[in-house]
Amino acid sequence: MISRRSFLKYSTLASVIPFVDGCSESQKWRAEAYRKQRSSQVAIVQALRYDLSLREIITKGVRLCGLEVKGKTIVLKPNLVEFDPGGVINTNPLVIEAAIDCFRTLGARQVLVAEGPGHRRDNEYLLAASGIYAVIKEHRVAYVDLNTDDIRPTRLLSSFTKLEQLYLPETLYNADLIVSMPKLKTHHWAGVTLSLKNMFGVVPGSVYGWPKNILHWKGIHNSILDINSSLPVRQFAIVDGIVGMEGNGPLQGEAKESGVLIFGKDLVAVDATAARLMKIEPKKIKYLAQAGEFLGNVNHEKIEQIGENLDRLQKDFQVIEEFQDLKTLT
Amino acid sequence: MDDLVERILNGQNQDGGWGFLPGKSSNTECTSLCVLALDSLGTKQPVASTKRGLDWLLRHQRAEGSWPLNDSSVDASWTTALAMIALNRFPGQQLQMKTASDWLLKQEGRTPGILARLIGAFMTPSNAVALNPDLKGWAWVPRTFSWVEPTSYALIALKQTRTAVGTKILAERIQQGELMIYDRMCNGGGWNYGNSKVFGEALWPYPDVTAVALIALQDHQASQANQESLTALRRMMRETDSGLALCWGTICLSIYGVETSQWKRQIEKRYQDTGFLGEIKTLALSLIASVDDAKAFRV
Repeated sequence: MISRRSFLKYSTLASVIPFVDGCSESQKWRAEAYRKQRSSQVAIVQALRYDLSLREIITKGVRLCGLEVKGKTIVLKPNLVEFDPGGVINTNPLVIEAAIDCFRTLGARQVLVAEGPGHRRDNEYLLAASGIYAVIKEHRVAYVDLNTDDIRPTRLLSSFTKLEQLYLPETLYNADLIVSMPKLKTHHWAGVTLSLKNMFGVVPGSVYGWPKNILHWKGIHNSILDINSSLPVRQFAIVDGIVGMEGNGPLQGEAKESGVLIFGKDLVAVDATAARLMKIEPKKIKYLAQAGEFLGNVNHEKIEQIGENLDRLQKDFQVIEEFQDLKTLT
Repeated sequence: MDDLVERILNGQNQDGGWGFLPGKSSNTECTSLCVLALDSLGTKQPVASTKRGLDWLLRHQRAEGSWPLNDSSVDASWTTALAMIALNRFPGQQLQMKTASDWLLKQEGRTPGILARLIGAFMTPSNAVALNPDLKGWAWVPRTFSWVEPTSYALIALKQTRTAVGTKILAERIQQGELMIYDRMCNGGGWNYGNSKVFGEALWPYPDVTAVALIALQDHQASQANQESLTALRRMMRETDSGLALCWGTICLSIYGVETSQWKRQIEKRYQDTGFLGEIKTLALSLIASVDDAKAFRV
């Protein structure tokens, strides 16, 4: 009898077959989608608590990565999925506040906060309950609900979902840089949810619904790849790993103090590093392994760790039973 | 109320429709709700604005009966049911309503195929989700899975037109849609987007979706599930700082015959605090909520 683990392997293959259509793996993305560099830098900066001077810590991370923001329009894209008063679901508003402050100080022309929550339509509630409303009000920052922004059909530069196009918010077209600001979390469907998965939030709910179910129908891994390959704006990542979430994430997991912020221009390399910080093997995460073929670097030897030492800050994040295999680092 | 009406009128685009925020592209959801909101003023309504909104809706109906979200996204969308609810308030649209009803009845949430079920059975534990995937309601995007909010809008639209286009299929789809919504109810009553449990852990309901679902199920007011959810709704309305939640909740309570004056005061207070963040949809719903009979959503 076929074992459950073996079946998992075969069924993963089976789920890929319908998307192949006789093409080789290399034909799943257009040449314009290829942006993998010979090597990538990822900065890990220790930040033990939210009440520290996060602006200085974020500025340090941004500078370590050599990110130039002067005169740029920057969209901060936190992870605002849901609200649970006792939980740690969302990017902490203090991290968002510090990023606003940092980018303004570094000379950004405009800083916006934008998100398209995937479950709830009630923006007003989510913003107020999460504490983000107080931040944007105090700092007079514009907030864009990406679920209801004006939209533009966008040709996909890869074909993992076979969707050919997705509607994306105009705000992305008008920005110079989008900063993905996820929470460091495990995810009960995708394994981990980090800066690449956080981009689900740019897909407009007004077209695709709450949840953005078409992305699930087409496969979470496939959707993550197609969205990230086709974003019409340059990207940067700041992962809020001061307190992360382990177990049954992204909503009902347990808080995990990790004491880090992770920065980088290559979102694949950032996520691979964040996974390794959680003692999760990134190459066993399907979308990360495939993103490593064309979007960025996933191999440890191709990622230059700057700032703190990865090994010293690793934390053992628990995962649900189905993902125990991810915990074997290669 | 005058301020609300003024803001809605100021938010109307040149093309006659409304966007999610003033100055944004017109879309079917906001235009439908604004038309309903202005119509709820009865004889005091600004007739010319209502008519321009109605014309926008009529111009945007696709040949096969559905509505797109907006001019950028031209495919058939979940907003069709909302356009039907709006059109239903105006006599003389029988042909448009008939083609829309026919289109809506042809739509049904997709159920997982055999391969997906097989994979699911092996890949995910039996408690991964707690819902019956065979119950078909309506999806956000045609040919995807059924969810509570689009199913609720479809039920309201179809129930409102039931007497006009009554058929056996219509009755069956309504019954199936109701069963789907009840199947997705959270522990203790109320609904979220449409999933009550993940990996054995209960998910919590949302006030706005609960209200919309209860409105769709208004012809089963006495049922235990409805009453339990009504109690949950009132609890959530007390706990949730949100104009959207208060407005949908108040419309629902009004339909269920509950005294709503305290909630209307809450809406006013919330409006003074946040201006509902300028969201046209919430402004329109607050105008509908301020009218006692909430006839726009009665079936």
